Amino acid sequence: MERSFKEEIKSLRLGEGDEFVGEGILAVTKALLQSGVSYVGGYQGAPISHLIDVLTEAEDLLGELGVHLETNASEAAAAAMLGASINYPIRGAVAWKSTVGTNVASDALANLASAGVLGGALIVIGEDYGEGASIMQERSHAFAMKSQIWLLDPRPDLPTIVRMVEHGFELSEASNSPVMLELRIRACHVHGSFRTRDNRAPVVSTTEPMQSPDFDYGRIVLPPSTYTQEKHKIDVRWPAAVAYVREHRLNEVFEGDIDQLGIICQGGMYNATVRALHQLGLADAFGASRIPILCLNVTYPLVPEEVTGFCSGRAHVLVVEEGQPAFIEDAVLAALRRGDVNGAVVHGKNVLPLAGEYTGETVVAGVRRFLEMTLDDLPAGSVRVDTAAITTRHDALGAAKRQALGLLGGPVAPRPPGFCVGCPERPVFSAMKLIEREGGPFHISADIGCHLFSTLPPFNIGNTVLGYGLGLASNAAVDPLFNRRTVTVMGDGGFWHNGLTSGITNAVFNRDDGILVIMNNGYTSATGTQHIPSSPHQADTKMTGMSIRKALEGIGVKWVKTVTTYKVSQMKDTLAEAMNSTYAGLKVIIAESECQLEKQRRIKPLIANLLKSGKRVVRTRFGVDEDVCSGDHSCIRLSGCPSLTVRDSTDPLKVDPVAHVNNGCVGCSLCGEVAHAAVLCPSFFRAEVVQNPSWWDSFRWLISRAFISVLQRA
Amino acid sequence: MSPLPERPLTILIAALGGEGGGVMADWLVAAATAQRFPVQSTSIPGVAQRTGATTYYLEIYPVPTTELGDRRPVLALTPSPGYVDLMVASELIEAGRAMQNGFVSPERTTLVASTHRIYTTLEKMQMGDGRIDPERILSAAGTLARRAHLFDMAALAQQAGTVISAVLFGAMAGAGVLPLPRTACEAVIRASGKGVEASLRGFDLGWKHATGEATERPAEQIKRWAANPSERVHATLPAEVHPFADEGAARTADFQDAAYASLYLDRVEAIAKIDREQGGGAAGYALTRETARFLALWMCFEDVIRVADLKTRRSRVDRVRDEAMAKPHEPVHIVEYLKPGIEEIASILPAALGRAFEGWAKRRGLRLQKGLYIRSTSLTGFLMLRTLAALRPLRRASLRFGIEQQTIDRWLAAVRSAAALDLGLALEIALLGRLIKGYGDTYQRGRDNFLRIMDTLVDATDGREPASRRAAIRAAREAALADPEGRKLEGSLAAVGITPLPPRAKPIQFLRKPPVRTGGRAL
Repeated sequence: MERSFKEEIKSLRLGEGDEFVGEGILAVTKALLQSGVSYVGGYQGAPISHLIDVLTEAEDLLGELGVHLETNASEAAAAAMLGASINYPIRGAVAWKSTVGTNVASDALANLASAGVLGGALIVIGEDYGEGASIMQERSHAFAMKSQIWLLDPRPDLPTIVRMVEHGFELSEASNSPVMLELRIRACHVHGSFRTRDNRAPVVSTTEPMQSPDFDYGRIVLPPSTYTQEKHKIDVRWPAAVAYVREHRLNEVFEGDIDQLGIICQGGMYNATVRALHQLGLADAFGASRIPILCLNVTYPLVPEEVTGFCSGRAHVLVVEEGQPAFIEDAVLAALRRGDVNGAVVHGKNVLPLAGEYTGETVVAGVRRFLEMTLDDLPAGSVRVDTAAITTRHDALGAAKRQALGLLGGPVAPRPPGFCVGCPERPVFSAMKLIEREGGPFHISADIGCHLFSTLPPFNIGNTVLGYGLGLASNAAVDPLFNRRTVTVMGDGGFWHNGLTSGITNAVFNRDDGILVIMNNGYTSATGTQHIPSSPHQADTKMTGMSIRKALEGIGVKWVKTVTTYKVSQMKDTLAEAMNSTYAGLKVIIAESECQLEKQRRIKPLIANLLKSGKRVVRTRFGVDEDVCSGDHSCIRLSGCPSLTVRDSTDPLKVDPVAHVNNGCVGCSLCGEVAHAAVLCPSFFRAEVVQNPSWWDSFRWLISRAFISVLQRA
Repeated sequence: MSPLPERPLTILIAALGGEGGGVMADWLVAAATAQRFPVQSTSIPGVAQRTGATTYYLEIYPVPTTELGDRRPVLALTPSPGYVDLMVASELIEAGRAMQNGFVSPERTTLVASTHRIYTTLEKMQMGDGRIDPERILSAAGTLARRAHLFDMAALAQQAGTVISAVLFGAMAGAGVLPLPRTACEAVIRASGKGVEASLRGFDLGWKHATGEATERPAEQIKRWAANPSERVHATLPAEVHPFADEGAARTADFQDAAYASLYLDRVEAIAKIDREQGGGAAGYALTRETARFLALWMCFEDVIRVADLKTRRSRVDRVRDEAMAKPHEPVHIVEYLKPGIEEIASILPAALGRAFEGWAKRRGLRLQKGLYIRSTSLTGFLMLRTLAALRPLRRASLRFGIEQQTIDRWLAAVRSAAALDLGLALEIALLGRLIKGYGDTYQRGRDNFLRIMDTLVDATDGREPASRRAAIRAAREAALADPEGRKLEGSLAAVGITPLPPRAKPIQFLRKPPVRTGGRAL
């Protein structure tokens, strides 16, 4: 895994009245244990990976409590695991990245929501939206609405987040429905503190197991139960949920003196809203706002009486709701009309953008527009506010940005994420680039994973991406309709997630004639290098020796070649061979080499120890002879390695910067191999530094140096 | 009790994925927590952890919770333009990005940024020089920041044997806006327990440079002017040209022999003569200077003899040791990645033989052979390369030597005849020498582009005015340097009415779907 959670595990053990200090998603993890969960699972992905990672390392603690932790195969599998709470009064929680994970999970989720739950079922979703997100921009809200899963969107401070987790289970049990807890990226990573309570050992646990199974046809999702279940959702579960939310005051009202106006915001938008008001001079640093606020920590279902109650007697209400469609704004409008509260004008997407993240900058601009539209329009006798001061304050905030535009004279070069130094996936795309150079471009169906960075410069390779593990499936109609063979890329993470069945099995079954490159780097690297069935190093609790190759052979793939990725020429030849082969059927190339990030993390301490104890260690790094380098940078266009960069030539005659390998080099050999495969130039060399040399090393070195120096030019 | 501050202190850290920005945010949180200040940090690591630009955002309310009772500030999760007190950037254009986003404002923001560059892929991958001008960002920082602390923290980190985050942390603390005493910051580093001494050294350097106790050493002159002044150069050429001509004369002598250096100076002097006659002194003899530059580079073309020579020199081995940071007692072995092709071998053969060999290889469809890995620090590897280098005297008879001299003469003749008309035009032609560089395909492409411009814009004047020819040649040169496929060059030529060459057909050797397909399904 990307990082160790040794310290964090300690804070999972904190007891009554202690102070937890740490990340939002870890606070959720602690809250799960405080709520007495019997089982936990999920599928990794930013921004919730840490929840699963920390629990994976907290084996001992989970064992003591009797909590079962499952490393789920996918989000669908995680959602299906919540089925344990359908018949039995046991609490469980799963986590994933949304909306992608919710998409994958939705079959199981819909079944779960229809059957209803006896024990609390909580789904922690990391809403991957806005800056830092890596997926299509959509809302999870729609899933909640279509399946009647209640959606919590807590204010992003740790005590509220923890409180909502605990209420989430109660709400789930009170209404027999699963509950989603939505946390945005920054809320997952927010660093704060809260007072902890003791962990609760679950009633049903691995140490106190259940004795007899429960059978109830009413919980089977088949007619006629399904009809009853739908009615039960509407007639019983929904009202129960609304009653629970109202009675426990999960939504919060903050009063203010400008009572003709009001703001309704999602819990997750509360801090941004308060900050916007503060910047415009209408709130203090502690959140005391002059404009009343209804903060929805539960965004679905709404409590109609809360909405009508808040809006009654106000002239204008602003709904701060991030993303589209504007479900909450529409629901507020409907609630007011149904409740016959027609005095308040509802604003929202008329002053705030319909699409895109609500950053502080966006919200303050929207609130300003709302105030400018409404403040001068208040009935006589209302509190007066200086509108001009608001405008001045906001204009001042934006002055520097406007000035910068002129001073910088153009946009700063973008810096998207890319392959790490020494990444084993990069060479595959170098090989593809070389094939393209010789034979023209070919269609590549890409997949989710670090390898999708191939679509960025310098490679710009990959034509479509349709979802995790779906690379080969997405190529099903492309390959037969092309005059030349096409290539699909899939990661080992995607392979086990569903690619094996959705893509490979079916390609074999349909006798498809594609080429599949499987990036076998040993981990789900993009999500933080979590383990998968084929990882090279497994924890004691996991099975070993589950190989991709064996799985392929098992389902009848006949053409399988394994290539070490760094051997660019061999990779290129193997790809060319697959393209030329008369074999009609799926051709799989397993591109193999361990994730460099993980490898470095593993070997660095080992090497440090060897060096410390005086053992011989050869350190390898690559270099460019600047006298020989002509500054054409072809090597960079075929590699893109962060440690292969440029610098001013020390040659007084040369004008262009020369290529240069910086000290980040891990000696993966790609730059040299590319220079060979592409016949670039003779500038590259490998330097092997013998640390702690043996006497034989030193002796040989001295002898050859003595001879060489006689013949050497200065 | 003094009134409570109206707002929290806001800190935005812009860093590159994997640089330890998260560690620095954690340090700040820990230091603020130790003071019992309400503090909050957020980040958006995501996939940005993989070398992309990323940010960490913190807010500290500088009053101990003990003095706040039950009240807690509401802290924001995203930075707002015009509302950042301390902007920290771990690299220069990340500071530029922060300014672009409005996070550096004159009323509020103290900017702490490292001035070193980590080039973006787009900057690095250009054929010529795609790097952005750092001056633009530095001067904008001077205007936009309330106070700016800008220095090369990567260099200081290296000096201290630590990572940049330690230096940045020291610089932040030294910038005087954090409500945290130095001792509190250092205590956090000590408590982290990893690489403590080095981190503290880095912190100290950062602190001292931010407070002005220490200042940066001026950048060293990195150009290696190696040559001794030559008498002939100083007697015959204008002073502005001396360093280039000295360097060129020394290099051509090193490349071949004294006679070759003399040929070089003959050629430069011929240009200088016209340059003088045409009043080139006003332009600092730019024509002669640039011709001297590119002529020297061209005359010292890198054939295998030259490469073998350069790779076996003592100074080169020392440079590699230095770059690899090898300690004096550590043996360093160097393995050369060489892949001489048919053309490289033919080019050092005597002209007739080389041509015959090339033709034969072409007819036989022979392609490049296996790449070689030569250990130039072993006796055998060294002797192999040294033997190749020793072929130097035979070079004059080689195929490539003849071809290069012929092309050089054509180029110089064009420069001279243009100079008689218009010095600016001649300079543009001289600068075409920049296109000749590289090896293998790169060399061939550059040479093809050079000849294409010579054929269309230099030798064929089509009665155009010098000014328009000047512009056309400059545009063509820039286009040729901008695009490895050569299409931009054709586009540039088309703009002045020259029919573009058709795109070169790619020899498709494979990829065509093989005819054998079991398209039909078994019943």
